Amino acid sequence: MKPQLITLHINGRTHALAAAPNATLLETLRDLGYVDVKSGCEKGDCGACAVLLNGEAVNSCMVLAGQADEATIVTATGLGTVTNPHPLQQAFADHGAIQCGYCTPGFVIAAKALLDTNPHPTELEIREAISGNLCRCTGYGQIVEAIQAAAEQMVPAEGGAR
Amino acid sequence: MTELQYIGKPARRVDALEKVMGKAKYIADRKLPGMLHARCLRSEAPHALIKKLDVTPALAVPGVRAVITSEDFFEHSLFGFPVKDEYVLAYRKVRYVGEAIAAVAADTPEAALAGVQAIVCELEPLPGVFDMEHALDPDAAQVGPDRPDDQHPNFLDLLIVRQADPLAEIEQCAVKLDERYSVGPQEHAYIEPEGALAVPTREGGVLVYAPNQSPFVNYGVLAMVLDLPHNLVRVIQPPVGGSFGGKDDQIYQMSAQVAKLALLTGKPVRLVYSREESLISSYKRDPMHIRIRLGADSDGTLRAVKFEGLMDSGAYASESTFTAWRGSIHAMGAYRYNACAVDIKCVYTNNGYYGAFRGFGNTEVCAGIEQAIDELACAVGMDPLDFRLKNCLHVGDRTAHGQILTESVGLPDCIKTVRRLSDWDRKRAAYANQTGNIRRGIGVAALYHGTSLGAEGADYAGSTIAVEQNYSIDLTSGLTDYGTGSRTVFTLIAAEELGVSPDRIHMQRPDTDTAIESGPTVASRSTMLGGNAARVAADNLRQTLDYAAADLLGCELHQLVRSGEAYVGPDEEPVAWERVVDHAREMGLALSAHGKWTAPRIEWDHHHGTGTPYMAYHFASQVAEVEVDMRTGVVQVVNFWAVHDPGKVIFPQGAYGQVYGGVAQGLGYALMEQITYTNGYLQETNFESYLIPTSVDVPEITAQFVEAPFSKGPYGAKNIAEPSMVPAAPAILNAIYHATGKRVRDLPANLERVLLGHDLAKGGSAKACKLGLKT
Repeated sequence: MKPQLITLHINGRTHALAAAPNATLLETLRDLGYVDVKSGCEKGDCGACAVLLNGEAVNSCMVLAGQADEATIVTATGLGTVTNPHPLQQAFADHGAIQCGYCTPGFVIAAKALLDTNPHPTELEIREAISGNLCRCTGYGQIVEAIQAAAEQMVPAEGGAR
Repeated sequence: MTELQYIGKPARRVDALEKVMGKAKYIADRKLPGMLHARCLRSEAPHALIKKLDVTPALAVPGVRAVITSEDFFEHSLFGFPVKDEYVLAYRKVRYVGEAIAAVAADTPEAALAGVQAIVCELEPLPGVFDMEHALDPDAAQVGPDRPDDQHPNFLDLLIVRQADPLAEIEQCAVKLDERYSVGPQEHAYIEPEGALAVPTREGGVLVYAPNQSPFVNYGVLAMVLDLPHNLVRVIQPPVGGSFGGKDDQIYQMSAQVAKLALLTGKPVRLVYSREESLISSYKRDPMHIRIRLGADSDGTLRAVKFEGLMDSGAYASESTFTAWRGSIHAMGAYRYNACAVDIKCVYTNNGYYGAFRGFGNTEVCAGIEQAIDELACAVGMDPLDFRLKNCLHVGDRTAHGQILTESVGLPDCIKTVRRLSDWDRKRAAYANQTGNIRRGIGVAALYHGTSLGAEGADYAGSTIAVEQNYSIDLTSGLTDYGTGSRTVFTLIAAEELGVSPDRIHMQRPDTDTAIESGPTVASRSTMLGGNAARVAADNLRQTLDYAAADLLGCELHQLVRSGEAYVGPDEEPVAWERVVDHAREMGLALSAHGKWTAPRIEWDHHHGTGTPYMAYHFASQVAEVEVDMRTGVVQVVNFWAVHDPGKVIFPQGAYGQVYGGVAQGLGYALMEQITYTNGYLQETNFESYLIPTSVDVPEITAQFVEAPFSKGPYGAKNIAEPSMVPAAPAILNAIYHATGKRVRDLPANLERVLLGHDLAKGGSAKACKLGLKT
């Protein structure tokens, strides 16, 4: 099988690389050093490897690297920095939404995708939006709270346009 | 007591930002130059003799650097505590599907897989034992090791509790119950699969990074099986992506495999499991068959209990003898009895193997006894919550083991609080006579859970603390934080004790070269044992600083007061903490200290089944409200209340998180988490078949704490991690009964059991395992 030359725009950086036709986006991202994208099941069932692919949350284990050619990809490390975290990241930290932390980057990505399209989600909408992400530690309540808090903070309270 | 500054106050996890920013480097994220990739050859047979094992063809595979078998270890890699019956790599026999036989290190994962496939391994199948009820039949195949006595080799242990004669007592009771219950195995399902990374050292030793629960246990096993002096072994703890009891033995095996491969090749070697490999090869929560007999007077006074449990240990003992012991101690529930007998027997089979999992025996027995208590209350004609309140343990009561509870028993308050929070009485009446397709029910369970190891073994922990040049403080513990929040708990305790901001403190992850051996990180013992050690270490350091401050301020020790971090003497001029540190250094005082804490000695008589099993207990009561679809058997938990007595709460956000997460695991245990071994072959090999609760399965959980302080706990703290999950399943099962009028006595209460009252026959095969071991 011949490697395929592809270009990926990840967290604002452009990478040109040769990817094996059977290489998943998950493997490729991790090989490039984006190890905040976690591997949990490699079958699309746990959401630990979620990234934004052209703005949409996908399980990167279910996407071939070749399918992502020329795509814009955002991972959890691309959302903020330790000194300037994204409001979602700050809210996760403040609300106790993190225990072991392994699923956390995937949850932040799922939440970001939700708030990008639905800035005022109901609790049920939040729960549905993150239902493809498994967390074994928290029981989800503090994650839901964190997303609600971030949504409130990110959108101007009165009549603010997105 | 002076006002607490940090204990019990709002705080954030010390590792929160690192994790949410994606900066935390778990084992699979650590890559070193020249690192080799390891992979294991695993048994595809549940029970077989290894007739031939030739690794030389694997060594000829391009990229393969080394291959090891049990021959490469001391005593064929035999290990295990308290029963030494397990191997790092199988020796002569395999006893479960997925058992590691050989390990390969290669330049790439692909070459490692090719190496594994090139190994010549001939297995001669043996008859297997797949039904624990027949494990001790005279003609059952031998799974367990040879025994020195005349017991069946598949017999592992029998744990008992004895007080008077319960059967005679039950005979005299007006209301009797005799029922059978069962609980199935449960997978830990941490989202991070297991891994280990070994690096050879210049001195001829090995450094292992491993997400283990107990780095010092790993360290001991490594020195033993590698036949290395302890000073040549070092274990460092990376962040751990969840454990729940699961990253114990399995990680020690993996660590020894990569360590040996690193020593042979002179290169770093890493092994990381796929989800399939994790599910197939790792141990699970033990299944148990339970028979409970209870007797009460017609006024609802509980008089006697007889509990018989049969527990599957699977192919190896792992922690089963300890699990069964904790199970036996809690099997009768948190009630007063005149007479009690508990017998829990554990046996070997070829159904994978079973070990530690949150609750550790109590989760299993509680599912039985808390349903039985509910059924007995119903037979007496009492509200099940009133029945529990009437019979539950109070301060001054004697437990079924003969222990007088002298303090810290918050159970009556827990039950009363959960009654109020859940609006119990109104709902209990409102849901009494429903007829529709969708029916609601509400159920309760009560709990007690012994703190720390109890009479299982020596119970101690240690901490170190030091002031650094930049006035920050380094704190260590020999106990790990695998997600529980214990690093934050230790930080808050040290900050409180020293009177400095928690931001100054850097709570390290354990490194066996710098931390103090503290026993295993198990049994929800971190807050009490590790917390006390951190408290003592910080107190020792504070004494030194107090002397320096008194010297600097020209006063007596008792004249010192604190204003924030600053020291204030008689002239009322505050002196910054940093100045006191500088002065201590000028005085030549060492600004580092150790702290060690040992639990009070307690005794349990295994032969007579009496004694003091634990120094203190956690108490709790949980209420579940469910909605059952009578047409499909679907159960949705719609509300949940959990009221716990963990003693003083040190880190509230973390403690609530433990409760929410524990309840969610209990919900999965109650309703959906099913592990099936068909002739020894696991059927659920990834998350598409092993279902754990998602965000739409877990309701909003209301948690509250009743803080009955324990005099020997740090600031009065006891424990929280395990107890949070234990009563959830029976509360849900009792709620299902309230909704439907039908008891489901076998866990999990899946759709078939709820709808039909029995399982549907399902085929099973070796296919999922065989495929899973090749991916």
